[in-house]
Amino acid sequence: MSDLEKPPVGPEEIISTPGMDVLVPGHAPTNAPPSERKQARRENWRLIRRRPAFIFGVFILSVWVICALLGERITPHDPLDFRAGSHLSPRWEFPFGTDATGRDVLSRVMAGARDVLRIAPLAAFLGVLFGVMLGMLMGYLRGWFDTVASRIVEAFLALPVVLIALLAVTTLGSSSWVVTGVVAVLFTPIVARTVRSAVLAERDLDYVTSARLRGESNLFIMFREVLPNVMGPIVVELTVRVGYAVFTVATLSFIGAGPPPPSPDWGAQVSENYNSIISGFWWTTFFPAAAIATLVIAVNLIADSVQSVMEAS
Amino acid sequence: MSTLADSTTTAVAAALAVEDLEVAYTVRGIDRAVLRGVSFTVAPGETFGLVGESGCGKSTSAYAALRYLPSNGKILHGRVMVAGKDVTGMTTSELQAFRAHDASMVYQDPAQAMNPTLRVGRQIIESFTLLGQSKEQAAASALEALRKVRIADPARVMDRYPFQLSGGMQQRVVIAMALACNPKLLVLDEPTTGLDATVEAEVLDLVRVLSRESGAAVLLIAHNLGIIRALCDRVGVMYAGKIVEEGPSSEVFDNPQHPYTVGLLRSLPRHGVRKTERALTTIPGILPLIGTDLPTCVFLDRCPIASDLCRSIEPPWVPVGTDGTRFTRCHHPDLITEMKEDLPVVPISLLAPSATQPDVLELSHVSKTFRQRNLSVPALVDVELGLSEGETLGIVGESGSGKSTLAKAMLGIETVDEGGVVSMGGEAVPSPTGSRSAENKRSMQMVFQNPDSALNRSWSVRRILMRSVKKLTGIKGEEANKRVEALAAHLRLTPRHLDLKPRQLSGGLKQRVAIARAFAGDPRIVVCDEPTSALDVSVQAAILNLLADLQAEQKTSYVFITHDMGVVRYLADRIAVMYLGRIQEVGSTDDVFNGPNHPYTEALLSAIPSVDGEEKVRIRLDGEIPSPANPPTGCVFHPRCPRVIMGVCDVTEPLLLEVSPGHSMRCHIPIDELRVLQNTPVTLG
Repeated sequence: MSDLEKPPVGPEEIISTPGMDVLVPGHAPTNAPPSERKQARRENWRLIRRRPAFIFGVFILSVWVICALLGERITPHDPLDFRAGSHLSPRWEFPFGTDATGRDVLSRVMAGARDVLRIAPLAAFLGVLFGVMLGMLMGYLRGWFDTVASRIVEAFLALPVVLIALLAVTTLGSSSWVVTGVVAVLFTPIVARTVRSAVLAERDLDYVTSARLRGESNLFIMFREVLPNVMGPIVVELTVRVGYAVFTVATLSFIGAGPPPPSPDWGAQVSENYNSIISGFWWTTFFPAAAIATLVIAVNLIADSVQSVMEAS
Repeated sequence: MSTLADSTTTAVAAALAVEDLEVAYTVRGIDRAVLRGVSFTVAPGETFGLVGESGCGKSTSAYAALRYLPSNGKILHGRVMVAGKDVTGMTTSELQAFRAHDASMVYQDPAQAMNPTLRVGRQIIESFTLLGQSKEQAAASALEALRKVRIADPARVMDRYPFQLSGGMQQRVVIAMALACNPKLLVLDEPTTGLDATVEAEVLDLVRVLSRESGAAVLLIAHNLGIIRALCDRVGVMYAGKIVEEGPSSEVFDNPQHPYTVGLLRSLPRHGVRKTERALTTIPGILPLIGTDLPTCVFLDRCPIASDLCRSIEPPWVPVGTDGTRFTRCHHPDLITEMKEDLPVVPISLLAPSATQPDVLELSHVSKTFRQRNLSVPALVDVELGLSEGETLGIVGESGSGKSTLAKAMLGIETVDEGGVVSMGGEAVPSPTGSRSAENKRSMQMVFQNPDSALNRSWSVRRILMRSVKKLTGIKGEEANKRVEALAAHLRLTPRHLDLKPRQLSGGLKQRVAIARAFAGDPRIVVCDEPTSALDVSVQAAILNLLADLQAEQKTSYVFITHDMGVVRYLADRIAVMYLGRIQEVGSTDDVFNGPNHPYTEALLSAIPSVDGEEKVRIRLDGEIPSPANPPTGCVFHPRCPRVIMGVCDVTEPLLLEVSPGHSMRCHIPIDELRVLQNTPVTLG
């Protein structure tokens, strides 16, 4: 079909139509039946599906999600089983080789998806939730609250991630809940800044003035009037944050602040084995590291596609 | 096709020849037709205007003329010839050379056309060095170019940054840059839309003179018919991607030959018509969405004289008259005259504002001073105003005159300075709005300029109206629902519209929703801040009619802020003219339009380009509106006043004095002298 041969239309191409505001996607005509909007959404969905990046991202992500959901039920070996020979190079029986204690690297990598996929999305969600609340207050209230909070956010962003994480883990102990909380707190100021700037653009619009003229409370204006209009950047932020959360969780377990051993966490696997690269046992480090990379890339590919479509509408 | 034959004969001489151009935009993967075969030619030294509602393809035609379409736009068919060169067939490098040497474009917003971080001089010099001049040559050319656009002190202007120049000055600099290459074609896309009337008049004068001097063909895009009339030799009226009528602009506007042109012209408040005399005529229906399949006449759905012929066969491009300069795309140009008589004219009966009742709104000694660091900026100075029941008070003035601040002070969005009192029905009301009683909030509501900004885009129309009904009237449940539906019906919105989101509505419908929201609690006063300036003229007419109807029915008072003198004349009972935060003149609409006037009002009135082509003596205002932070001594208008009396006006500020019953102004010149100076016919009574 000729439809398939056409290059996908980028969002920037859709919105740049001079003097013709009726062309903006989702900008349906007067007297449009409600189906017009549904159709716009369907067309957007069609565009996103046509992006190779999106398809590729979804494919990789689903592989890891299946691994996380089924875990030991589909791994070729028991990820915690020590019976195989140590440091066997990749071969038919152990495609990813075995580690120093003779555990199957492939099974450990597959099982390791569970920890990261449990922690990262939740941490990202919590970070976005707190960030939205803080950013909304900063952007809407402005004044001294914004000034003070902005300075604190900036100071917080200047601290090294690892330092804060180590501090939290040493005082609160290392568990997946602490890791989730730490990542959420780390993300809050970043999300807050994004939300703040989106809210700043909204608060000067006349619908906010109109709400004040009929005597609405600040809370109502913030969360009922303004919030739905800044959902676009928030959704984008959420998908982007999931990618970063994967990375951060892996970093934390690499420095030993993640879930305790013998959990087959990817970051922990890299950290346990990277010393043996020098002896030629590259597979024990390479495959968990590659797992981290593919998951981050998959999430980012999806995030990118979501972002383009969100910004276009 | 006859159009092609017509244009090829003149193509040799034409500076711009657009031939049967078809353009489509790819939106969400589908090609949607925008231009459906546009043909026109512009001769060297000629100014050609394109008019029509927004979305009809005016700007696309202009961009296509320079092959400057957005990346999702493509030319499907037809040719564009500029000075004998085929623009449609050019390679990228040819196109670059063409844009550098043969054609220039001036956009709507001059501030965006310049680099804010570079001095003006450097940017102009750059446009000359691009043409191959040396640094020294270019600097000299730049000075000369600025002189050409009537900038008095070019050396000083070159040394400034764009933000240090006023809008009018910026636009002149942009025009100077556009003319640098001595283009054969100059495209102006709404060049004065963002400018004030007095500045607009100056820029238009400049364009007129320059196009004569340079011999460039000018293609002007404007939605303001008055501007087109004032500036263009010929005009093309566009509708849904086609030119439906073409001819010399005076003839097209005085004797339109296409039903769409007739509709456009009728929807303007012209010839001093007032709301008490008749309603404005509107064009029913809406512009078809781009990409809509329009096999026959593009105007069919909205045409009052459409016949079966129009439904079956596309109307041809037929000449009107015998001189071969006028064309229309209509099967029935002979029925146009009938259409003129056919349309009903509904007079609106209005209560004359009575003087006996207390004012519904009164402002006394209202001042507003903004503090910026250590500077105090007086935005409103000692404003005294009253508004009686069922009255419309028009507030006019250029941007920066304090119109919007005045509205905000009334509504309590801004707190007024100590000593100023805003009272409603004889009772002082506090500000900010939050501290006002529910009754006071209900009584005064606002209609904003831009409905896109004023309506929450993620709420449905029903939710928008429901919330205001509940909040302002306290009605709940099923009863509130009924009231929302009644309100919508009253504003001629169908129940179907209630479940749509604002972005699914056209500009006019959105503004109706905004008006419905303001009327949710039966307000006594509605402040309208330029409610029609973002709308097309045919939609504007419908909104103005609606406002007049609502007022006649509910005896609502309006404070109507606008810069459009035609609109204010139609709707207002009284007019206040503001300059630099002060009311310079206030009086009945007749007083203000018949004069004698304050010299500022006089200049403002003379600056409006008229669609009727009346000859007017224009009063030029020199210089720019001074900064309110540092107002001139004496009368704040004296540095720009053409009738200034030095030694008096620059020393003491005149008081706002009544010159005749209900007509006050702030001027040292005695009223009788003004009457003589302005040559006002003496009217008694």
